[in-house]
Amino acid sequence: MEAAVEVQGAVKSFGLVRAVDGVDLRVFRGEIYGLVGPSGAGKTTLIRMICGLLGRDAGEVRVLGHPIPEGKRHVEGRLGYMPQERALYRDLTVEENLLFFGQLNGMPRGEIRDRIAEILEFMRLSHLAVHLAGNLSGGEKQRLSLACALLSKPELLVLDEPTVGLDPALRQEFWEHFHELKDEGHTILLTTHYLEEAGRCSRVGFMRAGRLQVEGLPAELQARVAQAVGGTPSMEEVFLFFARKGVE
Amino acid sequence: MSAARVWAVTMRVLRQMRHDVRLIAIMLVVPSLAMILFGFSFSGDIRGVRLAVIDEDRTDLTAEIIDSLKGDPTFRVTELPPGQDPEKLLLSGYQAVVRLPDKFTSLYYAHFAMGVATEAHGTLHLWLDESDPQIAAAVRAGVAEALMDIGEGGPVEIEEHPLYGVEVRFIDSFAPAIMGYVVTFICSLLTLLSVVREKVDGTFERLWISPLRRGEFILGYVIAFGMVALVQSGLILGLGKLVFDIVINGSVFWALVCIILFAVGNVGLGTFLSALAQTESQAILLFPLVVLPSVLLSGMMWPLQAIPPVLRPLAYLVPLTYGNRLLRAVMVKGLAPWQEPVGLAGVLGFLVLTVALASVSLRATARE
Repeated sequence: MEAAVEVQGAVKSFGLVRAVDGVDLRVFRGEIYGLVGPSGAGKTTLIRMICGLLGRDAGEVRVLGHPIPEGKRHVEGRLGYMPQERALYRDLTVEENLLFFGQLNGMPRGEIRDRIAEILEFMRLSHLAVHLAGNLSGGEKQRLSLACALLSKPELLVLDEPTVGLDPALRQEFWEHFHELKDEGHTILLTTHYLEEAGRCSRVGFMRAGRLQVEGLPAELQARVAQAVGGTPSMEEVFLFFARKGVE
Repeated sequence: MSAARVWAVTMRVLRQMRHDVRLIAIMLVVPSLAMILFGFSFSGDIRGVRLAVIDEDRTDLTAEIIDSLKGDPTFRVTELPPGQDPEKLLLSGYQAVVRLPDKFTSLYYAHFAMGVATEAHGTLHLWLDESDPQIAAAVRAGVAEALMDIGEGGPVEIEEHPLYGVEVRFIDSFAPAIMGYVVTFICSLLTLLSVVREKVDGTFERLWISPLRRGEFILGYVIAFGMVALVQSGLILGLGKLVFDIVINGSVFWALVCIILFAVGNVGLGTFLSALAQTESQAILLFPLVVLPSVLLSGMMWPLQAIPPVLRPLAYLVPLTYGNRLLRAVMVKGLAPWQEPVGLAGVLGFLVLTVALASVSLRATARE
């Protein structure tokens, strides 16, 4: 299978702290890859390195076949990114935010209008089109932030904690969106610290203390743990199993 | 009310500050700078005005007047041979020209010989650069004082030759300064706040992932604030003309061109300064770094000659010093921008330097 993201031996330290400590990772085209782990595990640092927003101390990163940061230009416009901060212009309306990011990504003017209408509908934000982004609720901001990342129909979507702080109904809705996007052929790399969300990914990697401890299909990981301890372990129990194993 | 809870709040605020080293540094630097600048920048006296003296009479009396002018710290006197064109001297950097014509002394003494009924008197010709009325007033006072030194009530008439055809009032020379100041304030500070906000809100990250280039980002800001600067300058000129009937001797077109050049430099400055602030409150605390030198040291409120010589070199590091000089030359003196080479070079140098620094600081921000 062709890899959309390839990371080899990535290392990044901040002072004495090794935030990412020799990570190897491959995300295949058309899958939803979930980087799961507690806060401070190094997930955000890793994906910022993948997006070329952060330099690294060692290792290689290739995105959509191009080395990062040297080949960043070939990736621009084909990569959609949703940072944790939501990254919206508070003093622009919902529509104006989308228009700006569409223009930056070189979308033709006529196409942008249609696409904005389509994405507002998809994200159920149409009724808020002329509202200022700063006045939206937390969930609405998150939907707009995702809409901005999706607008130019990028091949690869990198989403940093896209569901954090959302109520369960909205989280369910987000995951439905992710699966629709996957079905349309998009590749999604996302981070989450909700362990139960791991089960909804095509593949999942558990990160802890800057290292990728284990990765695989959710069902496969559950089966490995079931074999070792019996029963039907939840994703939380799977994570705790490997976390303890890591400590040992 | 619980003193313990009040104390807890106080300590929490202080602890928050302690964790923000930049904020502490800015909080210490800004008031110190304000005190030093306010305290020393205006000495109250105007010193070192460049005065050219042309003595065509060459007598003991005229020598006495010239000695008296030389003894006055208001002036830096240069004696020049007869035959010079005073207007050209003013354009070449002198701020005033005194000409003591042939027969000055004989007419002066003729007055005493022929008695009070005669109209005979010595005439001193004075050419003044009135683009700064405060300097003009200091020159008038200094010349009058020098004449008093040779004998109170002496029969000397001062004939003034207005360079621009009209008398320039304070408001006329203040309008260009206000334009420069508003552009400094709006362009540099709003750019600073806006760029810091991009950092805080995380929109910067989206920008760097998109195909947007640093140059495009800076140019986008430049065009937006250039337009704002144009509207504001138009407003100042319009209000100045309608309400205060200010004198605009020069070309409004060139004034607006200069304003745009100055605005671009200030957008560059704001972008560069954004590298020094991580939060909006840090950015706001950087404001005085721009505002104070602009108000106190640029020649906007009082002429550079009123700033003590120790601080005067600093004035030449303030962009608005050149902005003022250029805008006053264009609007009050009616010159083309290239006829004020120091002002023009200063504004262009400021533009090139800050835009280059802005590009470097954005590169650093993008890699943080």
